[in-house]
Amino acid sequence: MSAGGGRPAAGPSLSKLYVNAVAMAAKARLLRTAPVLTLPSRAAEVTGIRADPAKLTEFQHLMGQPARDVLPSGYVHALAFPVAMSVMVDDEFPLPLLGMIHLRNEVEHLAPIQYRQPLAVRAWARNLAGHRAGTQVEIVAEVRAAPDPAVVWRGVSTYLARGVFLPGLDKPGLDKHGLDRPATASAREGFDPPAATARWRLGVDTGRAYAAVSGDFNPIHLSVLSARMLGMRRSIAHGMYAASRVIEGIGSPKPDAFAWDISFGAPIFLPATVSLCVTDRSDDGGGWAGAGFVGWNASSARQHFSGSVRVLPA
Amino acid sequence: MTPRAPQPAPAALPRRAVVVGGNRIPFARAGGAYAKASNQDMLTAALDGLVARFGLQDETIGEVAAGAVLKHSRDFNLTREAVLGSALAPTTPAYDLQQACATGMEAVVGLSNKIRLGQIDSAIAGGVDSASDAPIAVSEGLRAILLDLNRAKTVRRRARILARLRPKDLSPDSPSTSEPRTGLSMGEHQALTTKQWNITRQAQDELALASHQNLAAAYDRGFFDDLITPYRGVARDNNLRADSTLAKLASLKPVFGKNLGAAATMTAGNSTPLTDGASTVLLASEEWATAHDLPMLATVVDGEAGAVDFVHGRDGLLMAPAFAVPRLLARNGLTLDDLDFVEIHEAFAGTVLATLAAWEDPDFGRDRLGLDGAFGTVDRGRLNVNGSSLAAGHPFAATGGRLVATLAKMLHDAGTVDGRPARGLISVCAAGGQGVVALLEASVQDA
Amino acid sequence: MRSRSAPGADSYTAFVNRGFGRVLARRLGLPRPAILRRYTPGAPLLAGPVLVVGVGAGADALAGALLAWQLDVRRHATPGERLAAIVVVLDELAHPDELSDPVRAAGASLRDLAGNGRVVTISRPAAADQAPAPAAARHAVDGILRSLAKELRAGSTANGLMLADGVAPDAPNTLGALRFLLSARSAFVDGQFLSVGTPGQAGAIDRARPLDGRVAVVTGAARGIGAAIARTLARDGAAVIAVDVPAAGDHLAAVANEIRGTALQVDITAADAGERILAHAAQRHGRLDIVVHNAGITRDKLLANMDAARWDSVIAVNIAAQLRINEALLASDLFTRSPRIVSVSSTSGIAGNRGQTNYAASKAGVIGMVKATAPLLAGRGGTVNAVAPGFIETEMTARIPFATREVARRLNSLQQGGKPADVAEAIAFLASDAAAGVTGNVLRVCGQNLVGQ
Repeated sequence: MSAGGGRPAAGPSLSKLYVNAVAMAAKARLLRTAPVLTLPSRAAEVTGIRADPAKLTEFQHLMGQPARDVLPSGYVHALAFPVAMSVMVDDEFPLPLLGMIHLRNEVEHLAPIQYRQPLAVRAWARNLAGHRAGTQVEIVAEVRAAPDPAVVWRGVSTYLARGVFLPGLDKPGLDKHGLDRPATASAREGFDPPAATARWRLGVDTGRAYAAVSGDFNPIHLSVLSARMLGMRRSIAHGMYAASRVIEGIGSPKPDAFAWDISFGAPIFLPATVSLCVTDRSDDGGGWAGAGFVGWNASSARQHFSGSVRVLPA
Repeated sequence: MTPRAPQPAPAALPRRAVVVGGNRIPFARAGGAYAKASNQDMLTAALDGLVARFGLQDETIGEVAAGAVLKHSRDFNLTREAVLGSALAPTTPAYDLQQACATGMEAVVGLSNKIRLGQIDSAIAGGVDSASDAPIAVSEGLRAILLDLNRAKTVRRRARILARLRPKDLSPDSPSTSEPRTGLSMGEHQALTTKQWNITRQAQDELALASHQNLAAAYDRGFFDDLITPYRGVARDNNLRADSTLAKLASLKPVFGKNLGAAATMTAGNSTPLTDGASTVLLASEEWATAHDLPMLATVVDGEAGAVDFVHGRDGLLMAPAFAVPRLLARNGLTLDDLDFVEIHEAFAGTVLATLAAWEDPDFGRDRLGLDGAFGTVDRGRLNVNGSSLAAGHPFAATGGRLVATLAKMLHDAGTVDGRPARGLISVCAAGGQGVVALLEASVQDA
Repeated sequence: MRSRSAPGADSYTAFVNRGFGRVLARRLGLPRPAILRRYTPGAPLLAGPVLVVGVGAGADALAGALLAWQLDVRRHATPGERLAAIVVVLDELAHPDELSDPVRAAGASLRDLAGNGRVVTISRPAAADQAPAPAAARHAVDGILRSLAKELRAGSTANGLMLADGVAPDAPNTLGALRFLLSARSAFVDGQFLSVGTPGQAGAIDRARPLDGRVAVVTGAARGIGAAIARTLARDGAAVIAVDVPAAGDHLAAVANEIRGTALQVDITAADAGERILAHAAQRHGRLDIVVHNAGITRDKLLANMDAARWDSVIAVNIAAQLRINEALLASDLFTRSPRIVSVSSTSGIAGNRGQTNYAASKAGVIGMVKATAPLLAGRGGTVNAVAPGFIETEMTARIPFATREVARRLNSLQQGGKPADVAEAIAFLASDAAAGVTGNVLRVCGQNLVGQ
């Protein structure tokens, strides 16, 4: 893939990718093409991606943050997302894009990124593996801020293609990536929530609002109707909305280098009231070392997500 | 947070700032007697009462500073407009300030400092809030569309912008008392703190009852005769329940902290209601007060602001005074035992009790205040002796003025204690994890 | 002077004095109350000549004094010449036979008395230690004056001065009281006597601001008559401390701000009310010269149905509070420079009123208090007097049912209700140096109400 122009829009268009994905899914079902069992070998790469200051500002405001000149970690994910998507719609990609469930995200944010810096994003897939509910895959995205050749942001997103079982992959229960950790498992049964330190009241338009600032127009987030077309009873909040909002609210302003991770449990059906508990952690010297967090449905106590933020040595 | 080292006492300033007196309108529960009154109406009424009490008609005051927490955009010059509508001279400058529930306190402290510095000779500090006549804004969506529309140059562009309009954009946006960063209401935050410090329902109800009884007794003996001017047919704070009992308070259902596991303890009886009202305080240099034949009730000795990191629950939202008071007293070489009156704003009964508990806790004293042990104990016989916000109500920005005028009068009445001027402390917590506290002492003139 | 009309104001008087209403009232023989001339600063004392009737040194001296006021003085009437006032000097009466000439002389000129005219008699009080003939002559003036007042029309009034022995008709204190009775300030005072007990000393008088530099307390100043008193005292130059119960504080503040005074919220029945008033005056002014006890309440009930609350509260506010405050005043160093106390009584306290045993008790009590307090103040050059208003157009009387109100309003020689300002003018006079010779008096401001004296 060649270098785009000055904006992420010049990279792969997300809405076009979704249209392609729908077409491909239909084609696959109709033609009963033999399944692909391996990941594509090549990486997708786009350079010259720049943040749109207006969209950036909207993103920061949506997260309840002031419009700063450094990019929020979640916004870098949004900039890199079309490149990652382009990996998943590759003809050689073994799993259908639509209906893919976001299980987990791990990010290392290694240096502050100014919004004016042109970014190069490289993405590839790895670790195709079995899951008790289907097949999972990790999409890695690395971001460099020209002209420095060093990686400034690295994200690993784990997705699950529910109900897709590919021959020759690990059986459920033998998952080596810790995705079936007790916390996630208990999320399905509900858990004993701690005292909330914050609460989000999410309106039905939360999905559309995040789609507008991130460019992720996955139909399951946009409206009840579009979600129903894909088998959901209502629209759900973007996992990355929850991730970005909780990460942005912790340790502000951020240290120069930090890492965060989030595991998603029960989807957040909109509208929703989400309770959160953030627990700060101190280092030996009493300084801020990071925080753990968990979010759950304020009325049903079903866990929506949990994760952590930690300072990385500079 | 590492404890801040106490700053040196303020350098001896050329002169003192005294509280001449105050005036407020009775506080009224929201949606009631003042439902149709605006912030400007109430602040003007409070100012006019102050002018009448002290004969300040046509007087040019050095500065008037006041504010409102819930404010209309049209009130961009609220205090100045109130001054222009009052009996004060129109040559009196005025400005708005806002520090949430500490607005009135900050106005008093800031203006007192200007007086002490010699920049002004007289000042009126005030605050007003209407939870009834609260501003309602257009939705964020409609607002964005209207602003874009205003910027659009062509008809075509305007049409495209208008096409963005959705029905939901037309529903208005009411102000919220939730903390922006946590989405939790003040009551929910306090519920966390109340639980953290193990404050019992019984203790909260007892504090609420004392507040009502003390306020009612103060009214009955005429204490408020020269502190309040009636407004709109209300002559006493109408949240006051002189006949309240522990049994009645105990029968109320909890409203905050219901999903915190343990039994919820916070009720409408031991929390302040939404309230409308306004207050003012007349401050002056001793020279100005003397030249105008005005009384001097108390000296504003010192003030201190504080803030806590409440966002992830390290400290309670309303616990900033627990840190600010020790700093203020240390700077002035005082302890809690040196105070004759302690006024702790009763945002919730739990706020007062958690603050007292923190001061009595040796761990808190050592780990958070950097002391050798517990900070100290407040003699309950000196706490909010003429009632406080649980009974009077709490029109956010107006509470500071109520407290300062009330304490100044109490100090004046007490005169000297053990051969020194009577001393009093005011502690007001505020949204955003803030607090402003101040030290006053009786103004004892050399005979 | 403001001319706000209270709700239920006397629109009848206005009606019968204009256009069609005037014609109609004349044809039907309806009562036609006059529009009274009231005081406005700067207006002349009298709009025309004054006739001084009477022989003797007193009458001559008085005529001289009136000339010094720049008045157009006549010692003999010119038939047909419109007169603004007639002063009948009867200070040397020894026998009722001596009444005929001066009284009939005055009577002959009544036809020439202009509207809003003034008749003032100057005589001396009868006393038990006098010989019967002079006592009869002196007391006869009482009957003459009260009858004459009832004969006058078109807003004219007749009042009398009773001079103590030793007080000349041209003594400063006589002239001060006379000036009030001649002026528009006494518009609603009719058929009344003022006693002048001392001759007084001549001094410069600021006619525009007779109370300049004085500090005055007015209780019940938030509204009605009290607010009018506060306004009038302030107009006359006094610094006014407006006092009322805390519950009336908003109206009180408005009055205080209007007159550039101060508002003091205090319940006068509080044990320390006097001390609080004195403390306020000391703090703000360093002196106190005038106290007007105006605050009062009514709790009407036939005595058979009277409960303790009604009785006790009226007594507490209307008389007991005044007694307690006066005690504090008399004990204070502040209240020593020719102090003035004026208490508001009521015609109910003089004549009684059905359903008002409690109120009448308190208001009659005020009269008793005033008479007994006068000697206590005399030592420091002070005076204490009562003013007894009749039917005054206020928010309170506006609540009386229409028919009752209409009857009550006409039951006096002027056939109309008074205004709060009329009471206020009488009080301002009693508070001034001009009234230095008047103490222990009860001055009715009632348009010569038919009840009582």
